[in-house]
Amino acid sequence: MLNLSSFVQRAQQLLDPTQGLNLTDSDKNPSKASLFQNQFRLPASQHPLFEITAELTIPPSNITQGDKNGDRGYHYAGKLHLSESYLCFSTTPSSFLQSASTSTASAFTGQTHGGGPSGNGFSFPLCSIRRVERLHSQNFQFALAITTWNGVPQEPGKDKDATKDKRETREQRITIQLAGPRVSCERFCDGLKKGLRGAVGSVGRLRKVVAECYSEYLLRPEDKKNATPPDAGLGMLFRYPGDPKKLRDRAKMRLWAEYLRDNGRNVTLIRQPTFHKLIRVGLPNRLRGEIWELTSGSVYLRLENPTLYADTLAKFSGQESLAIDEIEKDLNRSLPEYPGFQSEEGIGRLRRVLTAYSWVNPDVGYCQAMNIVVAALLIYMSESQAFFLLSALCDRLVPGYYSTTMYGTLLDQKVFESCVEKTMPILWEHLVKSDVQLSVVSLPWFLSLYVNSMPLVFAFRVLDVFFVEGPKVLFQVGLAILRINGEELLDATDDGAFISVLKAYFARLDESAHPKSENPKLRAVTRFQELMVVAFKEFSGITHSSIMELRLKNKDAVLNNIESFAKRTAIRNLGPDSKLLSTEELASLYDRFYGVLYERQQRDHIIKQQEHARRSKSSRPRATEVVSNEEGVEKGRVGLGPSTSLMDYDAFREFLAGMAKWAISDSPTTPRLDSFAEKDRGFYNSFRKSDVLMSPWGAGPEPADHEFLQRLFRKWDVDSTSALTLQNVVTGLARIKGKRDIMGTITYFFELHDDNGDGKVDREGILRMSEALLFLTRRGLEGDLSPSNSTLALNGLSDGVNSPQGDIPGQSLNERFLGSVSAFIRRCFEYADPDHPNNHYSGPADRGEIEESDDDQLANPDAFAIGDDDDSEDDLLEMDSPPGSPKAAKRSDTSSNQAPPSLQLNSSTAPSTLNSDASDRRRVSRAQSEKANIALDPSNPLHITLPTFRMVVLADELLEQFFESSFPASFHITGGLTSSSSQTPTSALTTFSSLGMGAGRAVGAALGGGSAAGGAGVPAGGRGLRGVLDNIVTDGMRVAAEVRRRMEEAQKELEKNALPGQKGEDDEDEDEDEAIPGFEGRMTAGRSSATYGGDAERRSVRSSDRDLLAGADAEASDVNLPGADEAETGGSSGRQERGDSASTRSGNSGTGGKVVGVEFDG
Amino acid sequence: MADSANAPKPSSSVKLVLLGEAAVGKSSLVLRFVNNDFQENKEPTIGAAFLTQKCNLPTRTIKFEIWDTAGQERFASLAPMYYRNAQAALVVYDLTKPTSLVKAKHWVAELQRQASPGIVIALVGNKLDLTNDGNGEGAESGGEGASAEDSGDARKVTTEEAKTYAEDENLLFFETSAKTGYNVTEVFTAIANAIPETSLKSARGAAASHAASRAEEQRVNLNGPRDPNAKEGCAC
Ligand SMILES: Nc1nc2c(ncn2[C@@H]2O[C@H](COP(=O)(O)OP(=O)(O)OP(=O)(O)O)[C@@H](O)[C@H]2O)c(=O)[nH]1
Ligand SMILES: [Mg+2]
Repeated sequence: MLNLSSFVQRAQQLLDPTQGLNLTDSDKNPSKASLFQNQFRLPASQHPLFEITAELTIPPSNITQGDKNGDRGYHYAGKLHLSESYLCFSTTPSSFLQSASTSTASAFTGQTHGGGPSGNGFSFPLCSIRRVERLHSQNFQFALAITTWNGVPQEPGKDKDATKDKRETREQRITIQLAGPRVSCERFCDGLKKGLRGAVGSVGRLRKVVAECYSEYLLRPEDKKNATPPDAGLGMLFRYPGDPKKLRDRAKMRLWAEYLRDNGRNVTLIRQPTFHKLIRVGLPNRLRGEIWELTSGSVYLRLENPTLYADTLAKFSGQESLAIDEIEKDLNRSLPEYPGFQSEEGIGRLRRVLTAYSWVNPDVGYCQAMNIVVAALLIYMSESQAFFLLSALCDRLVPGYYSTTMYGTLLDQKVFESCVEKTMPILWEHLVKSDVQLSVVSLPWFLSLYVNSMPLVFAFRVLDVFFVEGPKVLFQVGLAILRINGEELLDATDDGAFISVLKAYFARLDESAHPKSENPKLRAVTRFQELMVVAFKEFSGITHSSIMELRLKNKDAVLNNIESFAKRTAIRNLGPDSKLLSTEELASLYDRFYGVLYERQQRDHIIKQQEHARRSKSSRPRATEVVSNEEGVEKGRVGLGPSTSLMDYDAFREFLAGMAKWAISDSPTTPRLDSFAEKDRGFYNSFRKSDVLMSPWGAGPEPADHEFLQRLFRKWDVDSTSALTLQNVVTGLARIKGKRDIMGTITYFFELHDDNGDGKVDREGILRMSEALLFLTRRGLEGDLSPSNSTLALNGLSDGVNSPQGDIPGQSLNERFLGSVSAFIRRCFEYADPDHPNNHYSGPADRGEIEESDDDQLANPDAFAIGDDDDSEDDLLEMDSPPGSPKAAKRSDTSSNQAPPSLQLNSSTAPSTLNSDASDRRRVSRAQSEKANIALDPSNPLHITLPTFRMVVLADELLEQFFESSFPASFHITGGLTSSSSQTPTSALTTFSSLGMGAGRAVGAALGGGSAAGGAGVPAGGRGLRGVLDNIVTDGMRVAAEVRRRMEEAQKELEKNALPGQKGEDDEDEDEDEAIPGFEGRMTAGRSSATYGGDAERRSVRSSDRDLLAGADAEASDVNLPGADEAETGGSSGRQERGDSASTRSGNSGTGGKVVGVEFDG
Repeated sequence: MADSANAPKPSSSVKLVLLGEAAVGKSSLVLRFVNNDFQENKEPTIGAAFLTQKCNLPTRTIKFEIWDTAGQERFASLAPMYYRNAQAALVVYDLTKPTSLVKAKHWVAELQRQASPGIVIALVGNKLDLTNDGNGEGAESGGEGASAEDSGDARKVTTEEAKTYAEDENLLFFETSAKTGYNVTEVFTAIANAIPETSLKSARGAAASHAASRAEEQRVNLNGPRDPNAKEGCAC
């Protein structure tokens, strides 16, 4: 035999509370409220409001045990606690004051012979207190006499009966002496008074709840002997398991009746040492359910909402769910040996309880083993009682056991293994050496609370103690089983042998533990009794707190295991679409998806708690609550069984903002924290920094909200559930990013805007498409812009590189794209099919015209600017230019003439892309332009079809590149927005606002002020454009003026934001000479945001740009600047007080930028 | 005990794990194989169950250490604990439930990536007695026989579909009925035959030397009266 007690001692040393080192604060310091609720098994609505040291005196009239002290009855020193609706007394000296240390707050170690977690005392619902009188006592300043409703008949109406019965059942009256300074006593009493007043309304509810307790029937007055007993489980119909004689059920019942008569029944019961002893010898059948619900605290849940069970069943009646399917599978497989579960009656009860619970707690739903546990409960209690007890189990007693990941089960297996290792090192070593997996035997013990492992009668005895003393009992019993079978187990060398030893043991639990003993008393001790003694004596060192310590210590490892398994499985099961993405991308999507969900829940939770704390602080200054809560803080973590795996629209926005620049808001409403580059490192750790949590978007950037996002969301939400699954997200992204097929992407984009799926997009839709295009590119284009254009490519760096080019007026990529988009709109209208048959035009002919080859297109500016044939330009001008602004008309003319340089720049860098085919397509005839004018007429409904859309897109190189590469590449699934690109707003700003920025730009960007500025400016442009587009439709005549005004406004705003304090500069900047310094400044901005400097690099970029300048393009800037000038003057009057260079330039690029100018003027 | 007769034959143990959706009949298959019994209302497996059974091949004896796992989705995360070092796996689906085949495919994929390399996998479609094929064939295998309700064909997964998949993935394939016993022992025999000699030598794959010494112990110990799970060799 192993020397057990020495192991226990060693265990106690090893279970040093300082061991759980890698814990978070919230893990280590669970809130006082939750400790309080745990100790007294109260619902989550209860908080420790007041506490005071006190002495409880139970008068001699209702005494069974205790320290007899003459005629004064029994005394217990302890603490009296008051919550919102409970008055609790406990001999356990726990304190839940804010100032109390965690160890004093969790001092309910529940030694076997102590009183279980709540010690001796009581937990009275305030509504069960009938009267409180203040006594005059000499020893104490304050003494209260408390009279309860215990035993007072149900119907308050029958007063006569009541008085008669009162004579029969002694009134329950206890006294409590408060020990403490007068002020605290008074404060406590005030609180109590208030609570009692509030509880008056609940007395009726209490009566109803209590009426379902068997004790009321057991102790009923004589004249009610014929009443029908309350439901005490299936056992009343199908007999209780075991032989009642052998169980000595009658004797037990007598003892309990006596105890309850003296100490109060159900909610008014006072726990004295006898109570715990009576529980240890096993509960009588008919009282078992009631005592279970009392000791577990589930009766308080029932008291809070007595009709929840019935209501839930009614509410969800007839509805289907996955849980219900799973439940149905197991109904016939739950304790099938018990007759009650071979009948429809028993099966029906089981079905209803499990179903109702799956509705109220969809996170758990149904887990196999719950059927067995609930079946066991139903033998002893009513459906409603079992329902609430199941709640108490899942939420408090065995948290996480039945969750979707069963992390609680796995965790406790690890904890159990540690306990074995520490208390029985030799056995542990043997297990390791023989490669025996302990959890194979122990997991079912814990998961089904021994119900399936031992003969039922014994399993229920374990449950009796378990409900009072908590989960540590499961460990103590498990250890005792191993301990008792230690020697045989040491002989077992494989799983099979190991399992069979234990099977044999369980089968003989009712036999004598010492069959050969001379001593008849010893002989009479059964193996089960021996088990209980070993469990609670030898393993008394296993306490609630030691288990908690071990749980904390093992938690992360267990969760990580589960998470990696879950991830692996989830990714593998994503279906064929997922094959379009790489495993890396899938893994990353998985992390992002759940990361966002998790973070959002954390944030919600903490924000709620903070609110709650704030509220409670203001309403009751003495609130002893702290902000964190152990269970709550980790909620949503995948390993814990994500409480959701669905992503709503807001989460979706946040999800996208983590990997696409365009999904980040331009005008954050909350200041952004700089630390979000760390985001990818660990979703679960980032939350430990609480400062990060204050923003509603956490550490990440605030996501944008745009119609396009809503469309994308709806499109991905294939089941129209207003929420996305990981599968939805993967499928959605796979279609955009997976194929890298331009036609596919174009089709996708079209479908995205084809609201009714009829293959047509109408005028509104066209405008929306163009808005979406601008929205998506407002931070610049990414991806390979064209094979030979690789210098223009992607990311922050290229932004830096680009801006110099954009610097050459009219050349920025963004401007060009803006131009492409406006061309897009126009072409859409040109090629649109009229809805009205009369207006039908010969599409094929027109198209033929476009196909018309034009060899010199290669070097022709027209390849870029659509409709810039002088002729068509004129047409539009004629129509557009407001009579009062000839200047504008003229200028736009000029700018269109100035277009070639910009083109040349491009064609010189990327001549190869301009094959004649493409340029053909880009050609737009004058006739079509005229058509477009008709198309602008809102009275002619029109639409484009996919082929038209495709054609229009392909007619523009930039658009083509956008769909070919930029758009798919803008989703940075794996890399995310890395630190350089996480400064997206800054660098994007550089790019976009390089619509002519002055030298000071670099400073602005470098200082990070740019982020907000770019943000504010860009969307304004977008909005402005939207307005413009509307106007195109409604009033073609005002387009030019309107466009200009809006563009300029937008830019003005942009400048204003981007360049705080740039007032001093003025128009000198327009000097050609200054253009280069200006350009340099911009350069710097781009560089610094992209790569944080590197002078050499910067210089090289600059020089390369100079080369460009020296070439064909040098001219361009010369030519264009005057154009800018004109824009400035001809543009909006009263534009801005800050006539700074930057805004001038922006005006320049807005109008002088060839494409833009042409388009909007035309 | 059976082994006295088989003593000269080399004996080795094979760790076999059963995987598949809840209620497809994993435990029933094992019960049929180990005890030649069937229970209409078999309790769901909680976590896992462990049983052993011997299988006599002409040249050797295989002792199956059978790990019967719980089928419900959320128990899946426990599975790695059980298929660790398994040399064989029975992935079971229910012929009358198409979703169970989907789940079975997931398990196959999981095993192929995560279990010991070279693991022998058998795909088993159970509850053949509920299909028309099961009525005729099942009867000859004895057992409870087909009841009235079996007359309708409840088959939802065609033999072709599953078989094709099994061939693609290189799996053994069987359709069985735990209820009638049809094809049950055949599955285990086929697995026993498919286990390569080499992997038998190092009884548990990974921990070679240690496992070998264990195998030795088993021969000594397991035949003792202490092992109630040691059954007569299976019918094969
Ligand atoms: N008709 C028929 N029923 C079967 C057969 N095999 C199993 N069943 C029934 O199907 C139900 C589930 O069987 P189990 O063996 O417990 O299934 P399992 O796969 O072990 O289920 P879990 O342990 O929950 O994963 C039981 O009611 C069995 O009686 C079969 O071959 N034919
Ligand atoms: Mg099973």
